[in-house]
Amino acid sequence: MPRFLKISLPALFLLFAASSAHAAKIGDITDTNVWDQMFRFFSLRDPSLRAVLLGSVLLGVSCGLLGCFIVVRKMSLMGDALSHAVLPGVALGFLWNMTKDPIAIFIGATIAGLLGTMVVYAITHTTRLKEDSALGLVLASFYAVGICLLKRIESLAGGNKSGIDKFLFGQAAALSQDDLILMSVITGVVLIGVGLFYKELLVCSFDVGFARACGLPTRLLHHGLMLLLAFSVVISLQAVGVVLVSAMLITPAAAAYLLTDRMHRMLLLAAIFGVTSGVLGAFFSFLGNSLPTGPFMVLAASTVFGMAFLFGPRHGTLARWWRQRSRTNRVERENTLKAIFHVIEARGFKGEGVSMEELAARRRETLDEARDRVRELKRNGLATYDVAGEATYLTPEGWQRARAIVRNHRLWELYLTSEANIAPDHVHEDAEEIEHVLGEAVVLQLEKGLHYATRDPHGKIIPSSAEIYQPEAGSPRDEAVGYGKRT
Amino acid sequence: MSPVAPVTDPAERPIEVHDLTVAYHKKPVLWGIDLEIPKGKLVGIIGPNGAGKSTLIKSIMGLLPLSSGWVKIFGEPFKKNLKRVGYVPQRESVDWDFPVSVMDVVLMGRYGKLGLFRRPGKKDREIARECLEKVKMLPYANRQIANLSGGQQQRVFLARALAQESDLYLMDEPFAGVDAATESAIMDIMHELKDRGKTLIVVHHDLPTARNYFDMLILLNMRLVAFGPTEEVFNYELLQKTYGGRLTILSEVADAVRRKEI
Amino acid sequence: MNEIIPPFNFQEVIVEPWTILGSEHVWVVLMGFLVTATCGSIGVYLILRRMALVGDAISHSVLPGLAVAFLAASLVAGSGAAAGGQMVEAAATGAHHNFRNPTLMFFGALAAGILTTMLIEVIHKKSRVKQDAAIGITFSSLFAIGVILISVFADKVDLDADCVLYGEIGQVAPFFSPMVEVGGVGIGTWPVVRMGTVALLTGLVIVFFYKELLVSSFDSGLAASLGINPTFVHYALMCWLSVVVVSSFEAVGAILVVAMLILPGATASLLSHRMGSIFLIVILHSALSAITGLHLGYWLNVPIAGAMVVMGVCFFTLAWMFSPSQGLLTRWLRLRVNSTSRQPAPEPGS
Repeated sequence: MPRFLKISLPALFLLFAASSAHAAKIGDITDTNVWDQMFRFFSLRDPSLRAVLLGSVLLGVSCGLLGCFIVVRKMSLMGDALSHAVLPGVALGFLWNMTKDPIAIFIGATIAGLLGTMVVYAITHTTRLKEDSALGLVLASFYAVGICLLKRIESLAGGNKSGIDKFLFGQAAALSQDDLILMSVITGVVLIGVGLFYKELLVCSFDVGFARACGLPTRLLHHGLMLLLAFSVVISLQAVGVVLVSAMLITPAAAAYLLTDRMHRMLLLAAIFGVTSGVLGAFFSFLGNSLPTGPFMVLAASTVFGMAFLFGPRHGTLARWWRQRSRTNRVERENTLKAIFHVIEARGFKGEGVSMEELAARRRETLDEARDRVRELKRNGLATYDVAGEATYLTPEGWQRARAIVRNHRLWELYLTSEANIAPDHVHEDAEEIEHVLGEAVVLQLEKGLHYATRDPHGKIIPSSAEIYQPEAGSPRDEAVGYGKRT
Repeated sequence: MSPVAPVTDPAERPIEVHDLTVAYHKKPVLWGIDLEIPKGKLVGIIGPNGAGKSTLIKSIMGLLPLSSGWVKIFGEPFKKNLKRVGYVPQRESVDWDFPVSVMDVVLMGRYGKLGLFRRPGKKDREIARECLEKVKMLPYANRQIANLSGGQQQRVFLARALAQESDLYLMDEPFAGVDAATESAIMDIMHELKDRGKTLIVVHHDLPTARNYFDMLILLNMRLVAFGPTEEVFNYELLQKTYGGRLTILSEVADAVRRKEI
Repeated sequence: MNEIIPPFNFQEVIVEPWTILGSEHVWVVLMGFLVTATCGSIGVYLILRRMALVGDAISHSVLPGLAVAFLAASLVAGSGAAAGGQMVEAAATGAHHNFRNPTLMFFGALAAGILTTMLIEVIHKKSRVKQDAAIGITFSSLFAIGVILISVFADKVDLDADCVLYGEIGQVAPFFSPMVEVGGVGIGTWPVVRMGTVALLTGLVIVFFYKELLVSSFDSGLAASLGINPTFVHYALMCWLSVVVVSSFEAVGAILVVAMLILPGATASLLSHRMGSIFLIVILHSALSAITGLHLGYWLNVPIAGAMVVMGVCFFTLAWMFSPSQGLLTRWLRLRVNSTSRQPAPEPGS
């Protein structure tokens, strides 16, 4: 229940806030200043704009919530087929009274949409055609029938277009009081449905077989979800239009999907993104002159998605690039430490520090490059740089890490040659990569498994973990300890 | 680790693999494989699930990129010797509702020889019919492939491979899910090919039959456990190493590599 | 309710289209046939490769490509008085003068098609979002951009919402478009000739690359081992699709074209098991839909492209009901036969 409240409370708040604003008399609208317009839009004083705002909020909530389920179940294009399939129903609903009767249109559209999904199912199960072809077929066929019906009605109704063409690309300003009442009711139903059946929907979406085994009525739940989906599509038609309403289902939910790992948070985020896109879209179309609202809402939603895709903290492109970069830098530092160790080892662990020439020669680089590397080490507290003598000395932490990396490398080589039977001359490159990736737990397993061997396949000594992590005398930050100058 | 004396002329070696490491979705699945397969042998690849058997075949054919190492087919990179290799993929990899007949599928085996604009001619059809005859599927030549049983589908694939007239055959689990009659029919054809000097590498899923079917065995579990004549290699110790699961560290580290990459 | 279906007067509906304005309607039917046949042919491969919805995406996405291309052209040409004169002339005849510049159209559409394919790949390969959602997000965003462009720049871009939704196939008639003359003989109006060229090229591609298309659609593993690169084939198919879709745009718009991609091939696959017959049925289906569509559109006074699709749907439904192998009627009969007779049903493939 708490989750239900978390989702519904903000939405209900917005609902009440929007409808309880004062109705002010609006004189001639002559302001063209963007700020003035923004103020006018958001101050909720203009009743028709209030309607637009309310409508956007409602459709944002219902589409966002239901969209989560279809994105997670990989049924996004079912939403697309559904949204095109409702068109003939809209036309028939219109025919009922020859006026824009919201209830008749709603019923007609829902029936048409559900009929569409049933036809998709029928085609997939009785012919060789696969689901994607069936979806595309139903989508386009129903749409064609709908267009023909609509045009027929238009020519009958004479010059009075009766708002039917608004259904194609959406015009939120055309929402009437009756429309809003219907939208509120449906959004309420969606909220209640999702809230009550959250657990069941979650299980069915994740693992249908398991759900059935638990005794859940999966087919009923599926049809229920389809019904709610149809409702949500139909109420959003006037604002977003037939062609684009599926985007309002998919895009906010996909953006939420990229930002969280938990379903209830995804639902909340999707609802928020849906509302944001709806409102922003309505606002931008309002700035122009009688521009259709649908495309702007979709663009707003896609922008939100784009930002989540690029800047999402965990999965976003920027975050991943950053992590990749820090990883590359860490690998560089570890390779430098390794090189220093090798120089010291080559002279039998005698002598102090490593000179820039020795390091540059070891890594086959120029002196400048070697200096840059050591500066990088110094920045991370792993080594010190003696400018006078052009030498570097490892701090205790640096010495520890150097030995740990060399240990990893040689342990891995030993493992590959002895346990995995790989030829000794093949293992070096592997180890160059793996040494940076081995965690301490795996290393302990390796040491144990290899019986604490002390020599690698090339005869070099493997530093042991016990020896590396021995507490050193003196404080760790003291330059005098580690591998370097002693006072 | 090949106990067979290496043949001196590289062009005579059907497959030579050196330090092959392959990653699948950024996770290493094969490590440092070395292989030299001699000509005219029936070689089986066995190992547990997820050991990388199909991956090995696909990377030999260049269908998967190599993280390290190289592969040579008859002494040349795969692309140069395409025409000499016949591939029989797993049955699931194909949509059996496709509107083609059995004959159409077998003719696909001839495409390699035909080049870009030419159509299969009378000679190609003759060869296709012969291959279908060999697998005893000639009566079905005009039937659409959806109406075939599992064993029949496998035979069609085999006929297609035969139609390729290759010197080296790579087969991915040809015996999976087929009836006994088909199994022995496939075995007979394999022996006939071997007698004609062809080399066959077969991913096999069933341990007990492996001992009887193949001259040589590749024991694979993410790395090469052993490769050699069946009598030498099919013993308790080596099989234990292959199927035993002592290499959890290898798969853990492979996972770590994949996660660090992401 | 009765007014929705006007009275069916045989003379009016069946005969008059050919006697009155017959010379105009011939071209309309021909264009409809060419569009449906070409889309249907490439659609066969979309169905087989399970890429019907990628086809849907590309057909929506050519809109911004076209809009941008036309905008660029008008920005370049718009400064001259000559361009102004062109615009006036176009407005007078109601013709789409931008469509007389095929290179512009194709370039815009190709760019949009490649962009779509790449965006879909980037979204689903570089993030958790799966391919179906990636397709939906990509095409709806691009389509939205297209609609906004044509709404905001309505005067510079010679497209309107109606054209996007169901095309303006009537425009291909000689009344609206100039005839192309070869050696002094008019062989067709510009749009028809253009579409005819695309249709011919499509036919040639299918004939010459039949083997390669077949094997890469059927078994990509084998194709790769034969040296055919699956990624290359995929991108090539998408480019070709973009070209076909944009050529069809003027006639049928951005959404109905999906029907023309899928319906003929779907109908054919219900009736045949061989690639050769499938293509023949596609051509037959296209011809029938085009002709009957004209009559339906004439009768009900609805957009002709929409009517052609509706007839196409009718033929599909007929095939679905009565297909000898997969039809609903056949299944129902088979069930009745099996339940009333004592003998077991014959086994397939034995």
